[in-house]
Amino acid sequence: MGDSGTAIDGAVRDWGTLRERYCARMQRGAALAKDKVVAPDDVVALLEAVIEPGDRLCIEGNNQKHADFLAECLAEVSPERVHDLHIIQSNIALAPHLDVFERGIAERLDFCYSGPQGLRLSRLVKEGRLKVGAIHTYLELYGRYFCDLTPNVSFIAADAADHEGNLYTGPNTEDTPAIVEATAFKSGILIAQVNRIVDRVPRVDVPGDWVSFVVEAPRPYYIEPIFTRDPAAITEVQILMAMMVIRGIYEKYGVARLNHGIGFDTAAIELILPTYAADLGLRGKICKYMSVNPCPTLIPAIESGFVEGIHCAGSELGMENYVSERSDVFFTGRDGSMRSNRIFCQIAGHYSDLFIGSTLQIDLEGNSSTATLSRITGFGGAPNFGSESRARRHGSESWLMAGREAHRGNGMPRGRKLVVQIVESFREGLSSTFVERLDAWKLQESFGLPLPPVMVYGDDLTHIVTEEGIANLLLCDGPEEREQAIRGVAGYTEVGMARDPEMVRRLRAKGAVSYPEDLGVDKRLATRDLLAARSIKDLVRWSGGLYDPPARFRNW
Amino acid sequence: MKIARHSFLEAGARTRVRGLLDAGTFREFCGPLARRTSPHLPLLDMPVAFDDGVVVGEGLLAGRPVLIAAQEGSFMGGSVGEVHGAKLTGLIERALDVRPDGVILLIDSGGVRLQEANAGLIAMGEIQRAVLAVRAAGIPVIVAIGGRNGCYGGMSIIARSCDWIVISEEGRLSISGPEVIEAVEGVEEFDSRDRALVWRTMGGKHRRLLGEADALVADGMDAFRDAIAGYLGRSRAHDLDSLETEQARLEARVTRFAECRDGVDVWAALGVDAPERVPELEPDAFNRLLGTLEETSR
Repeated sequence: MGDSGTAIDGAVRDWGTLRERYCARMQRGAALAKDKVVAPDDVVALLEAVIEPGDRLCIEGNNQKHADFLAECLAEVSPERVHDLHIIQSNIALAPHLDVFERGIAERLDFCYSGPQGLRLSRLVKEGRLKVGAIHTYLELYGRYFCDLTPNVSFIAADAADHEGNLYTGPNTEDTPAIVEATAFKSGILIAQVNRIVDRVPRVDVPGDWVSFVVEAPRPYYIEPIFTRDPAAITEVQILMAMMVIRGIYEKYGVARLNHGIGFDTAAIELILPTYAADLGLRGKICKYMSVNPCPTLIPAIESGFVEGIHCAGSELGMENYVSERSDVFFTGRDGSMRSNRIFCQIAGHYSDLFIGSTLQIDLEGNSSTATLSRITGFGGAPNFGSESRARRHGSESWLMAGREAHRGNGMPRGRKLVVQIVESFREGLSSTFVERLDAWKLQESFGLPLPPVMVYGDDLTHIVTEEGIANLLLCDGPEEREQAIRGVAGYTEVGMARDPEMVRRLRAKGAVSYPEDLGVDKRLATRDLLAARSIKDLVRWSGGLYDPPARFRNW
Repeated sequence: MKIARHSFLEAGARTRVRGLLDAGTFREFCGPLARRTSPHLPLLDMPVAFDDGVVVGEGLLAGRPVLIAAQEGSFMGGSVGEVHGAKLTGLIERALDVRPDGVILLIDSGGVRLQEANAGLIAMGEIQRAVLAVRAAGIPVIVAIGGRNGCYGGMSIIARSCDWIVISEEGRLSISGPEVIEAVEGVEEFDSRDRALVWRTMGGKHRRLLGEADALVADGMDAFRDAIAGYLGRSRAHDLDSLETEQARLEARVTRFAECRDGVDVWAALGVDAPERVPELEPDAFNRLLGTLEETSR
C-alpha cells in the first residue's frame, strides 16, 4: 500500500495530501527556526509561513490558561497571506481572539464560551464579519476535533519546554491533551508558547516528537483565578439553600460522587460540610469524590475529612502548594504538581451521582439557560456535567434510588443521575429566574441559530432548589405536575404567584415539593456563623498556610 | 482550626454593641422609635435611616459603666452627616455629666457624608472638641476599628485624637482612602485594586507597627471586648509635653521611612525579621513579634 490508489472513477487518488502539506509547511517554517525553537520576533513570519488560507485553527485558551502571545501574533499576520480561517477553540476570552475577525483573517467560529468578549462577539455576528458554526459544550467540541473539525494548526501554552520540544504543561492541562492529539496525529502543525526553555523539563506531558515549533514567550501566559469565591460574599439565603441541599438531596440519596458548579451557591454547600453536615453525622457518607477544579472553598471540607478524592479540569492560582501537599486527594505527578485534564474530569463528572449548578433562567418545563438577550456567552462545561447519561449502568445507591423514583416500578429497572439547579427566585436587578419562555428563543431568532441555546434540558433535570424549597421533578407525573412543582418553589415571582395552591399541596404531600420544615431544616440556623470559613484568610488558616491567594482577594 | 463564631467584622452596629456589652445592660439614646433622620437626604431624593447610621447609648462592659457609639457601616458607608454627628457629640459630652469608666467609639466609616458636606465637616469639629474635653476631664475615649469601611477621612482624625485605639488586622486606618490616592496621584503611586498592598499600608498590623494603634486583636467579639476592657479607667497624658513628644516622633518617622514604598519596606527598616511574612502572622504571633522589637515606634 502506498500513498496512492485507484478511485472508483479510475483516476489515481493521492491518500497522503495532509502529510505532504505538513512537510511543505514544516519546510517553510524551518527556515525561521533553530531546531524547533523560534525567536519571539519571528513568530508572525512563522505563522504566515505555515498557515494556509481556509485552515482550521485552534488557539488554546480556557477559563484560565491562554496561549495569549501566539493569539496576539496571529492578530498581526497579513490578511493578504492568511485569511478565511475557521477558528475552532473552546474559549473566546481575549481581544486578539476577535481581532482576527475584525481584520479579515478569520471568518468562521466554533466555540464553547466567550465570557468577557460576549458583547463584542454578538456585534461582529450582527455586522456579518463572523459566522458562528455552533456553540458547543467542551466535550462536543473536543469530539469534533476527532471527527469533522480536526485542526490544521494549533497553538498551545505550556510552562516549560526542553530543546527537543518536550513540554511540561504545569498544573493547568485542561484542553491541552485534546488539542495536541487531534492536531499531532492528523498532520497538523502544533506550536507551543512556553514560559521558559530548560535543559530538562520536570515532567514530560507532551512528547517533543508531537510538537512542531516552540517559542519562549516574552512574558508568562495569562492566567486568571476564576474559581476563587470569597466566603465573605456568601449570603444567609445561600446558606439556607445549602442546608436544604444537604438534607433534602445529599443525605437523602447518599450522594458520594459528584460535581459542583463554581458559584457562590455551591461554595456555600462546601463551606457548611464541616459544620452542618458534620453535625448531622454525614462525614464519610456524602461528598467523598468530586470532579471539580481545586476551588479554595473546598479546603475546609478536605481538611475535615469529607472529600477524599478530587479530579480537576484545570487548576486555580494560589492552590499549587496545597494541591501538591494533598496528593492523597488530588491527581499529582511524580514531580508533585497537579495533572489536570478537562476531558477526563468531565467524563468523571458525566458519570457521577450528581451535578449541581446555577443558571440565569428556568422555564416551566425546567429547561435552563445562561444565554440572555444581549450576550452570547456559551455555557462552559455545565451542559456536560448537567446531562443525564443514559449510558451509565452501575449500581450506586444514589443512582438506584433516583431511578426508582423516576420509574416507580414501571418497566425495566434503571438508575438515574441527579441533576440539580440551585437558584434564587430573583436574581440581580430583581429580574425573575423563573420565566414562562426563555430568552433563548429570541436569541435563536436574532442570531439564526439552529436551536435555542439551552444549557440543561428540562428532561435531564431532577431537582430545583430555591430559597423557598425543593422541587423534585422525578416525582412529578406529566407536564402539568412538573409545571406546578416549579411554580411551587418559584417564590414571589410572577411564575410563583400563579401557582395552583391545591395542586402544590398535593405535590407537597407526595414529596415533589418540599419546604425547609419538611426537610428538617431549621431556618434559624441559616446564618454566616455556620460557615467553616467566612473569609479568604480563614481558608489560608485551614490550609495551614499552603493556600496563597492572589493579591486581589487579600484583606490582610 | 478555630474560626470566630461571632465576627466583629461582619456584625452590624447593634450586634457589635450587644456583643461587647454585658448582656441586657445596653440602653439606647434616640433609638429607632425616635426616628432622628437626616434633614438633607430627602432633598436629594435619597433614602434615610431611622438612626442616621449610628447607635449611641450606655451600658456595662465587664461590669463597668461605659458610654458607647457604633457606626452602621452598611448605611452610606458609616458616613457622618448632621444628625449622625450630633448623636456622637451628644454622647461624648454626656461623659462630662455621668463620668463613666470610658467612652467607646466603634468606628466603621469613610468620613464625612459628602451629601451633607458642610454639616458633616462642622460635625467633625464638634466631635473632636467633645473628645478633647472628655479627655481633659480624665475620662478615657477608646476607639475600636474592625469593620469593612475601616476608619478614614475626618473619622481618622478623631480616632487619633482619642486615648486608645484597638484594631483588628482586617481594620484599616488612614486619612485618604486607596481610591482617593489613586485618583489624585495616579495608579503608579498607589494601585487601589492591589488589596494586599492596601492592607500592608493602611491595615491594622501596619498601624500597630507604626505606633498608630495600641492593640491588635483577632476579629471576634471576645477579643475586642477584652482589649477595650483593659483600657477602661486608664487615661493617657494629653498636655504640651505629650504633644511635643508626638510631634518629634512624627518628624523622625517622616525622615526615617521617607524612601519606603511599601509597608514591607517599613517593617524591614523597623528591624522585623522576615518582614514579608507579617501579613500571614496570626494576632498572637504578631503580638509576640511586637514584644521582640525595641520600643522604637510609639
